Amino acid sequence: MRIIAGEEINALLNTYPRNAMYTLAVMQDMQRQFGYVPREGLDALSGHLERPLSELYAIATFYKALSLTPRGKHIIKVCDGTVCHIRAGTNVLDGIYRALGIGPGEMTDDGEFSLELVNCLGACALAPVMVVDGTYYGKIAPESLHEVFDAIRAEGVID
Amino acid sequence: MIVTIDGKEVSCERGEYLLDIATRAGIRIASLCHHEGLQGQGCCRLCTVEVETGRGDTGRGEGAQSGSFSDKKPRREIVAACIYPVEAECVVYTDSERVRRNRGILLALLRASAPASEEIAELCREFGAPDGARYEVQSGDGKCILCGLCAKACQTLGTGAISSVGRGTAKKISTPYDEPATVCVGCGSCAAVCPTGAIEVAEDGDERTIWNKTLTLTRCSRCGAVTGTAFEHYRASVHAGTEPPDLCPDCRRKAMTDTMAKTFGV
Amino acid sequence: MNRSILVCCGTGCIANGSLAVADALRVALAGTDVAVEATGETEVKETGCNGFCENGPILRVMPDDISYYKVKPEDAADIAASIGAEPLERLLYRDDNDKPVLRQADNPFYAPQHKIVLRNIGQIDPQSIADYTDCGGYRALERALQMTPEAIISEVEASGLRGRGGAGYPTGSKWRAAMQYGEYPKYVICNGDEGDPGAFMDRSTLEGDPHCVLEGMAICALAIGAQEGFLYIRDEYELALKHVTKAIRDAEEAGILGDSIMGSGKKLRLAAVRGGGAFVCGESTALMASIEGRVGEPRAKYVRSAQRGLWDKPTVLNNVETFANIPVIIGGGGENFALLGTDSSKGTKVFALVGKVKRTGLVEVPMGVTLRRLIFDIGGGIVGDRPFKAVQTGGPSGGCIPEKLLDLPVDFDTLTDYGAMMGSGGMIVMDDRSCMVEVARYYTNFLAEESCGKCAPCREGLRQMLSILTGICEGRGLPGDLEALEEICALLIDSSLCALGKTAANPVLTTIEHFRDEYNAHILEKRCPGGVCRELTGSKKDGTGVTSSKAGKGDLRV
Repeated sequence: MRIIAGEEINALLNTYPRNAMYTLAVMQDMQRQFGYVPREGLDALSGHLERPLSELYAIATFYKALSLTPRGKHIIKVCDGTVCHIRAGTNVLDGIYRALGIGPGEMTDDGEFSLELVNCLGACALAPVMVVDGTYYGKIAPESLHEVFDAIRAEGVID
Repeated sequence: MIVTIDGKEVSCERGEYLLDIATRAGIRIASLCHHEGLQGQGCCRLCTVEVETGRGDTGRGEGAQSGSFSDKKPRREIVAACIYPVEAECVVYTDSERVRRNRGILLALLRASAPASEEIAELCREFGAPDGARYEVQSGDGKCILCGLCAKACQTLGTGAISSVGRGTAKKISTPYDEPATVCVGCGSCAAVCPTGAIEVAEDGDERTIWNKTLTLTRCSRCGAVTGTAFEHYRASVHAGTEPPDLCPDCRRKAMTDTMAKTFGV
Repeated sequence: MNRSILVCCGTGCIANGSLAVADALRVALAGTDVAVEATGETEVKETGCNGFCENGPILRVMPDDISYYKVKPEDAADIAASIGAEPLERLLYRDDNDKPVLRQADNPFYAPQHKIVLRNIGQIDPQSIADYTDCGGYRALERALQMTPEAIISEVEASGLRGRGGAGYPTGSKWRAAMQYGEYPKYVICNGDEGDPGAFMDRSTLEGDPHCVLEGMAICALAIGAQEGFLYIRDEYELALKHVTKAIRDAEEAGILGDSIMGSGKKLRLAAVRGGGAFVCGESTALMASIEGRVGEPRAKYVRSAQRGLWDKPTVLNNVETFANIPVIIGGGGENFALLGTDSSKGTKVFALVGKVKRTGLVEVPMGVTLRRLIFDIGGGIVGDRPFKAVQTGGPSGGCIPEKLLDLPVDFDTLTDYGAMMGSGGMIVMDDRSCMVEVARYYTNFLAEESCGKCAPCREGLRQMLSILTGICEGRGLPGDLEALEEICALLIDSSLCALGKTAANPVLTTIEHFRDEYNAHILEKRCPGGVCRELTGSKKDGTGVTSSKAGKGDLRV
């Protein structure tokens, strides 16, 4: 797990005015930059906005886009919309479990992949859909998942 | 303005909350999340009553989900009395068939979620809640019904040590990261406003333990009654510049009376 | 003759590789300089979503109006060579009689459609403000600047437009209410937090024609007297966020929005706000709480947002599709708009026709079209010609409609009368291999996770409903379960704080009403007629244990 420097957090905070309306935006930026919302980040935000930590913690645990624990280098989002669901979304989960040994909300031991089950991505025509690091994979055949993940692993971090 | 509650005519001001009007008229509407000092929760929904509006007024639904806005006929709707402002004359039923049925199911649901709460059990008896045999009873000694009064009290008092955490059926009330909250002053206001006694406050000797945090108690120098926690008085002195009290409110009053008596020779 | 090749670059087509197709086309066209003299210049343009995503990448050669489907980068050279010559037959769409279709208008998927909201999408480059103004964009705003607020609102009222987000509240009345309050500042908000699973018309609109939404918001701002506005957009919709952000900047730089709307001296500042990933934030008061930087919990609506909305100030909040209709209403007149649709539901509605239907995608039709026409004519019927079982409309707030009700017209009120709702326009078609009990369990699980958890009926009711439904799906159902479900549903409808809870019973109640036999088969015979519920089907899947982490999710595929 990488160490997050206070300066990084401060630099991020200073891009926003001290106004409660930017609370969620700051947390989302942390999520993007660090892969999760680190505790140091919430503490610093609490001071920056003069809001109790508990209020920020309530927000951070309420919104699904935010994670309070570090995630893998690559984020796999499996769509759990109705259409993906009726077109065998759970078989995709089974396939990922076979390929990587993780279930929703888990991270591989080597820290490479995290798996998230997300709400409908609106790409229903391509169901079942999975998004890895922002790239959409439609009409997934669970047996081909191995190859997809091997290729991603080989490419390294996509920024 | 006149509101008719269960056949009784009650006068009120426009915009007054229905629960307040009923209470003033001595009509009981059971509630859990309502607290005089912390208005506007509206989340336990126990105080829902049936209101007939639209005799000239258009009627306002909370969810705005109904598609037809053309009918101006009188209509009955279920509202939460604690946050329903009376804007027009209306007829209120606090114990109609529909209200009774909803209240019973709601209490049975709350009992399954807070099985250890005596207050909920008592309300279930009072209102004849169904047995809820098909409900999955939460394990453990749950008493919390997530009304949020504790968090609101803590926030209102300026401490903000606790809040709601998560959402949906996984929602709970806790401190950040479930750790003893550094900012908690141990004032116990959260426990005082809790309608189901769900917040544990343990006092042992000169210590009070709350939210997994142990604080030192201060006592009245005259009678020895607890006056608060040392941290609470420290925080108050920092923020408001007040001196930590030496006496409890009772003894302070007595001391004042004594002084007056001496001064004026009564 | 100069041509353009419109390459669909909506999220669906991009997923299918349309960006590579566009690049390959540019390379291929650069190699055909010799032919330019004969065929003129050909420009490759990346457009928004054409709606027929399943057949993407889609491209359209204009003005010849030849549409190609499922195009691969390898096809680029052939396409370049075919410009001004014979169309490439192998990339044409084939209709139900296997006849190749040249023009989009002749495609059975597009032929019955009537595009108002989607009017520009697929024709213009959404990142080009010039493309938008070239096809008449911002002319309605110009017109609105010459009108009084009263006149604008009268025009919207005359159109009969009702909110497209699901509730169907008359847009004109909402605006009028906000106009009448003399408190400032006022705000205009666009709800782009499209959360209904299976609905993606708002995303496509924001991606494919962001300026038309901005124009609608600007007209609203003029009408109610707002100087600031927000577009709350789902965080997952990256392309939509990008296009909207650029559109706002471009419109401000062009002097259309910003400190002086088209030089009028009137001000409007718009900003895109990223949603946090919470379905309940599609509820207007929760959305406002979220913009304010708080937990997205709804408040009671006894006092409307038009009076006390964002930061307790008068606020108009409309859905993306609602705003997209506004320029057409102001530009072409409210009464003309009202010619389309039914008595109580005017104009068109965009539907996301998805699931087990042959032609899936975004469809815009006049209100009042029957479900049968949508599913069987436009959608071409059920995949593999299997029997139709149900269509789920309106997402988690809607319900399941059986075959016998397929001739119902789709508008705001009819489906509501039958316990379902048109909602935001998601339309998920299910065949005989779907399990309606599992569908009810799926939506209830969704809502149990997505409920804010503030009010007791919704939180505790959904918890117990999910427990009972999961029991039924796993073979632990008991007689009396349906009555227990119905009792809780009645409580949710009556006592919940917000629309999420009040409508959460719909998926359960409609499936009990129309598919009671299926429930009984599960409860009494421990049998799943759709062959979906794992515990009740003979063929047990391998027990990886993965799916159990999500409340015993069944497997809906056979």
